[in-house]
Amino acid sequence: MTSGISALRKEFGETLATLARALAAGDEALFLAHLDHLVQRRERALFNDLRRLTSDLQAALERFRVDSRLVDLAEKKVPDARQRLDHVLKLTAEAAHRTLDLVEQSAPIAERTAAQACDIIGLWQRFRSRQIAVADFHEMLRRMDVFLEAARTDMDVVRGNLSEVLMAQGYQDLSGQIIRGVITLVGEIEVALVGLVRLSKSQSSSVSTLQHEACRGLGPMVPGADRGPAVSGQQDVDSLLSGLRV
Amino acid sequence: MRKEMKFLVVDDFSTMRRIIKNLLNDLGYANVTEADDGQTALPLLQGGSFDFLITDWNMPGMPGLDLLKAVRADPKLAKMPVLMLTAESKREQIIEAAQAGVSGYVIKPFTAVTLKEKIDKILEQ
Repeated sequence: MTSGISALRKEFGETLATLARALAAGDEALFLAHLDHLVQRRERALFNDLRRLTSDLQAALERFRVDSRLVDLAEKKVPDARQRLDHVLKLTAEAAHRTLDLVEQSAPIAERTAAQACDIIGLWQRFRSRQIAVADFHEMLRRMDVFLEAARTDMDVVRGNLSEVLMAQGYQDLSGQIIRGVITLVGEIEVALVGLVRLSKSQSSSVSTLQHEACRGLGPMVPGADRGPAVSGQQDVDSLLSGLRV
Repeated sequence: MRKEMKFLVVDDFSTMRRIIKNLLNDLGYANVTEADDGQTALPLLQGGSFDFLITDWNMPGMPGLDLLKAVRADPKLAKMPVLMLTAESKREQIIEAAQAGVSGYVIKPFTAVTLKEKIDKILEQ
């Protein structure tokens, strides 16, 4: 504290001496001017302390805000994200199975069509080279009838299956939207954690504010994770809209 | 005229755009253009002679609801049929779309039959 005293002596000695001299000489103006100067100096130190206190308080408040955001993320959003990812898993598995089922259904049909065509080709080539017996010719016609009829119905089935394979790919859009939501959440957690680390490193640094995405849509409903009034399917939508006369 | 109609399909997922385009082709509509969000769709709509707009809701850039509002606010496009094809299923969202002037609303996951029905219904009007 001796250095404190000498610092004070250095800081105020000159002024106090001037004050004493002015008082002794009866110089009122000089005395008051130096007194004002003294008071201003003290005030400045006080303001500096006050400013430091305020910034500490601000940092503490920010830390509290980051903390409570993290608690919210950890308690609510993370389990919610887990549920959403589970749902993605289910969607992708369902789509993959549906696609595989349809491929497994279609493959034998395609093989049967190819086999039936094979059965006819030999007779057809003999017919084209005009070397076919009448009985074989009739057999060829019979097989042709069977083949054409079967090909028509079989290929209708295959065409239908292909359409369903097409529709099954819709999972990519739905699961993609959910995954994007989870990516946004991970980003939020990152920002909150970085803010916390920065605050613990330095009291005075400010935390970047957490940005909230404007509501540009909520994405697909996830069973168990989403609550609130939602429609359960196209029929609900239709009745809601017919009520609104759309 | 019907089968020569020009469709614009707006969805940020290219897989979904392909699905819708294929379904439209199956229904006999061969003239289908794609856009990946409202921002790219709007100049196409303003510049081209499209007859029918099918749009998703949840997209980066300009969401489908904003696109719908922009279409309804543009005197040249205001009467265009707009079918919303989206996973957004909150009641208030559907009401919001209806108030913004949507012509039809199909919820994902959807079926080929539903899409056909809604397009037919809109074209009947």
